[in-house]
Amino acid sequence: MSVAAGGGESKIDKTKLMMYGLGGGVLGIYLTHVLNTITGSGYFSFLAGLGVIAAVVMGSDAVRRVCSYGIGTGVPSIGLMAMGMGLVAAMFGLSIGGVAGPIIGIAVAMGFGYFVGLLANKIIKMNIPVMEEVLMTLGGAGAIVLIGLSVAVSGEISYPLILESVVNTGYIAILFIAGTLAILHPFNANLGPDETQDRTLVHTISTGALAMFAAGLASLATIGAAGLLTVVIAVIIWIKSFMWYFALVKRDSSGVVGTGLLPEGGL
Amino acid sequence: MDMVSMGLLAAMGALATVAGASEDLESDVGSQSNPNSQVQLAAQVGHPHRIYNKAISGEPPSNALYAALAAVTASVLMSGYGMNAFFAIAIGAVAAAIFNGIFSVTAYMGRNTSQARFNQYVYLDVLRTHTTTIMAHAYITAFCVVTISYIMTAPWLPIQHPFPMPLVAFIWGLAIGAIGSSTGDVHYGAEREFQAYPFGSGLNAANSGDIVTKAEAGLRSSIDNAWFCARFGGPVTGMAFGLTVFLDNWRTTIFDPATQGWLAIVTGVVIVILFNIYNRILEIRSKKRYGPYPEYAGDIEA
Repeated sequence: MSVAAGGGESKIDKTKLMMYGLGGGVLGIYLTHVLNTITGSGYFSFLAGLGVIAAVVMGSDAVRRVCSYGIGTGVPSIGLMAMGMGLVAAMFGLSIGGVAGPIIGIAVAMGFGYFVGLLANKIIKMNIPVMEEVLMTLGGAGAIVLIGLSVAVSGEISYPLILESVVNTGYIAILFIAGTLAILHPFNANLGPDETQDRTLVHTISTGALAMFAAGLASLATIGAAGLLTVVIAVIIWIKSFMWYFALVKRDSSGVVGTGLLPEGGL
Repeated sequence: MDMVSMGLLAAMGALATVAGASEDLESDVGSQSNPNSQVQLAAQVGHPHRIYNKAISGEPPSNALYAALAAVTASVLMSGYGMNAFFAIAIGAVAAAIFNGIFSVTAYMGRNTSQARFNQYVYLDVLRTHTTTIMAHAYITAFCVVTISYIMTAPWLPIQHPFPMPLVAFIWGLAIGAIGSSTGDVHYGAEREFQAYPFGSGLNAANSGDIVTKAEAGLRSSIDNAWFCARFGGPVTGMAFGLTVFLDNWRTTIFDPATQGWLAIVTGVVIVILFNIYNRILEIRSKKRYGPYPEYAGDIEA
């Protein structure tokens, strides 16, 4: 492990995180679609936002694993790459798959990620052992985040509707960048030799909630007042996770002080 | 080219100049982007500090986020609830400033906590004083960038860019972040963090992380970076972004893109060539006047 980039031991297993991320993401997207269609309303759009939070936790852990190999300044780049792969695959999946679109999009994104990882390791010879697996996870996370946030804005899985309410309105811009920062910011912000997995992942829940909040804001114009539910739930999750994060900062830090001079030896 | 287009062009240039300056000062107060690596390194080489460590992914993506969020909020308020553009953009900029504050606070806490073994504390008074300054500058930036995007896309104004407003704001956010990062940070990074070293000496790799942690009186924090950088780094970034917005829109204002598109493209190419020549002349003149340094003559007495 590189000291500069940090990345301590993982308390939570990556397989478990992937299971929750993929399962939670897909479940959230489909529950939104089914419940909104049955009730004929947009009140269940927040479920897609909750799915997105599960997926960003999975993505953030993948960023953490690959960046522990010393890719310090590459943290933002790898987050943007994840989202780029996710965006292309998500739109492809939605355009050909109908209701099965999200599954196709996620599968294509993961295949895409694995292929890019292969190129990085075999052709460019980066020789990072986890590269293929991490980029596969990141591609999947990117696709879930984009589809999830899009469905939270449009209210159901429908390519024409997503085109009309998310792409043509330009809301895709905030979904893309808020989702990207939700995945890359936590590890980037906690980078250092004393980084801990639980603090980074709790931070991820809060950035995921911010992405959900942004989608909720956009959905106020598309699904109307029902979008307010997404906004309120995102705010509650953010407050809770931020308080949890601050508690972990107090636990891990050498000192959280109101004010004061530098520690001994600092001057 | 009518008078309205010319007036709008001037307004956009002015807004972009203000936005560029405030963006650079915002990033300097938090030590974001390039100078951040030195702040990050300081504690590790034995200099714990009270300097803000705002590590948010580099300036282009973070500014794209603020601009896009402000534009989406404004767009929702205008299209969904019929709000006046001026108030809608102001409320959007408030949302962007709040997001900026949240990302800044978590980055400062996270980075400093992850340096626990080097005795780097998390100072809450640094957070309280600096974050508000950062958010205030972010508000100005987001407001100006979204206003430029609104002028470019509003259906009742002559420009009528085909992209929707949030997307235009997103692109200008990326641009302003890139310009702020490449233009203004140089001034802050080299001149402020390393002012203990002779002016113009460059940064030796061995001096990495050896940044100034003491101020004229007491300990150095980042709060006076806005004062320091407002003298040169901020305005020069403003000029760079203002010129970018002004010249880019000027060529499509004087030449109608629908009928004289090629002339607009040729004008753009000519502008780029002229700037290249100007930069080369400037570089040669600077080297003749200030350098090169053929041999090291020892430290200069301050």
